[in-house]
Amino acid sequence: MSLDNLTKRAPATAPPKTPEPVAPAPRRVPRPGRTVRLVFLAIVATIMLVPLYVLVVNAFKSQSQILTDPFGLPTSGTLAPLRRALQGEEFDLVRGYAVTLLFVVCVNVLSIALAGPVAYVIARSPRRRFRALMLFFLAGTFIPSQVLVIPVVYVLKTVGLMGTVRGFVLFETVLTLPFSVFLYAGYITTVPRALDEAAALDGCGRNRTFWRIVFPLMRPVVATMVILNTFSVWNDFVNPQIILGPGSGLYTVTTGVYAAVSQYQTDYTVVFPTLLLAVAPLIVFFVFMQRHIISGLAAGATRG
Amino acid sequence: MNRSAAPPRRPAARTHRGAAPTRRARDRRAGLATTVMVLPATVLYTALLAVPVALACYLSLTDWDGFSAAPSFVGGANYRALANDPSLGRSLVVTLLLAAFGTVGLNVLGLGFALLLNGRSRVNTFFRMVLFYPHVLSALVVGFLWSAILGTTGAVNGLITSHGGDVLPFLADPDWALGTLVGVVVWAAFGVNVVLYLAGLQAVPRSLTEAARIDGASRWQVLRHVTLPALGPSVTVNIVLSLVTLLKTYDLVVSLTGGGPAGQTQTIAYLILWNSFHDGRLGLGSAQSVVLMAVTAALAVAVAQLRRRGESAVYS
Repeated sequence: MSLDNLTKRAPATAPPKTPEPVAPAPRRVPRPGRTVRLVFLAIVATIMLVPLYVLVVNAFKSQSQILTDPFGLPTSGTLAPLRRALQGEEFDLVRGYAVTLLFVVCVNVLSIALAGPVAYVIARSPRRRFRALMLFFLAGTFIPSQVLVIPVVYVLKTVGLMGTVRGFVLFETVLTLPFSVFLYAGYITTVPRALDEAAALDGCGRNRTFWRIVFPLMRPVVATMVILNTFSVWNDFVNPQIILGPGSGLYTVTTGVYAAVSQYQTDYTVVFPTLLLAVAPLIVFFVFMQRHIISGLAAGATRG
Repeated sequence: MNRSAAPPRRPAARTHRGAAPTRRARDRRAGLATTVMVLPATVLYTALLAVPVALACYLSLTDWDGFSAAPSFVGGANYRALANDPSLGRSLVVTLLLAAFGTVGLNVLGLGFALLLNGRSRVNTFFRMVLFYPHVLSALVVGFLWSAILGTTGAVNGLITSHGGDVLPFLADPDWALGTLVGVVVWAAFGVNVVLYLAGLQAVPRSLTEAARIDGASRWQVLRHVTLPALGPSVTVNIVLSLVTLLKTYDLVVSLTGGGPAGQTQTIAYLILWNSFHDGRLGLGSAQSVVLMAVTAALAVAVAQLRRRGESAVYS
């Protein structure tokens, strides 16, 4: 506090700089350059944010004002479109949120429960068969999920899980496994083996050693994976659309938005409020957790 | 020998004969624990990922319609149908153009803004966030939003017509629509490349750039001859990732152009899912996905090889 004040006041109390004819320091960044950079960045930021602005202001306007004045602020702000989108005839957005959240939680829990132990065994065992298992899982990171969806439909039909929540959650979980196993195994190798050995001496079994001793230390990677899985399940469109299908009556936020918006693409009093309600929670979540989300999603992007 | 290796704390009474467990018994128990830990994930992964990949190859040789339990074998008929399908040619062109221009856009902007935003400051954090946020939204929402902005009655055309101008066919003309698609893809995704390039820049040793500055190199020379060569691996990763991601573009096409106008912006991924689930020709769709898988793998390997050769040329 006092230090802060000192440094802040120092220039004010210092005598005005005498214009000494000293040669300018070659290392100093010229101020105009910095201003140009800031102005340029501000213009780019505006371009990036305009769509968001359009989305927000038009969610509160009537169709005629959207058509004649798409960029202006709402003149007679009305909440009616928002309320209508929230209760939507096409799909119930609140229910869509609940369903999607349920999927996100299930996939995350299952993914950790399945990938954690495998990664532990792979990381701790020098055996060749577990190294082969690692490669087997790693190969899965290169398979695009669109390629999988057709044969997965076949498999799920054969075992009677097509069109069910269980089938969908299992498939989404499997999609998270390759990268989870890869990240977890990499992280576990940095956890000292001495911890495991101490636990084993105390009579702790392998499974318990993992969950009680190693897993609590894995918080950073698990957090990264949870962020990644949350966004990929939340934003997934193809898999819920095809595996759950319109027949099941179960809509996630994305398939619900598709059902509502694709039918009324020119009725902007449906389009804008629905889209706004679909993205608002994500944006708020992003603003508060941006550091973790950016690093998590960037790590995920590298999985291809 | 064996008995002396028994764990010290285990009470002898816990085993059948009142003796300490043999090593074999303990090994068996440890083996069981390992199996319990490994098996569930491995079985599920095999059933829902490894088997389907093999199944895709098999189904591509059948006439499966999505319903019949026993599709009949048709040999290479699906692949022959692919070779003669005019819509496949167009979708290949669309996908490759999208991948090519998109990759250039993503990497030029990604690297450019990473260089501009390198360094820790609150301003940089803010701009990084602004550039990154579209990636958080689902591609489906991004597409619907931009089609509401650029459509014939959309926001931009509304502004133009209210000032007496002519409607611009952002999504109504095939060539314009492809350009719009590339633009929106780049808008939505280059923030990721910025972050990845920033991570790459962190790995460039400061001592290198400082040494070059002290030796009298200009900022541009440092960038050209020190920073960029050191970023080599980063560039490879970014290019391969952009290519692989763009080759499977689907959601955005559905919501932005709907594959139109007149099917002129259908990507391969769009065609696969359209043939499979709209027309009920899952055998044909499987053949297309096998082709997509092969093209993706080949391109990724080729780019990585080219880059590696380029890098060794730089350093030798």
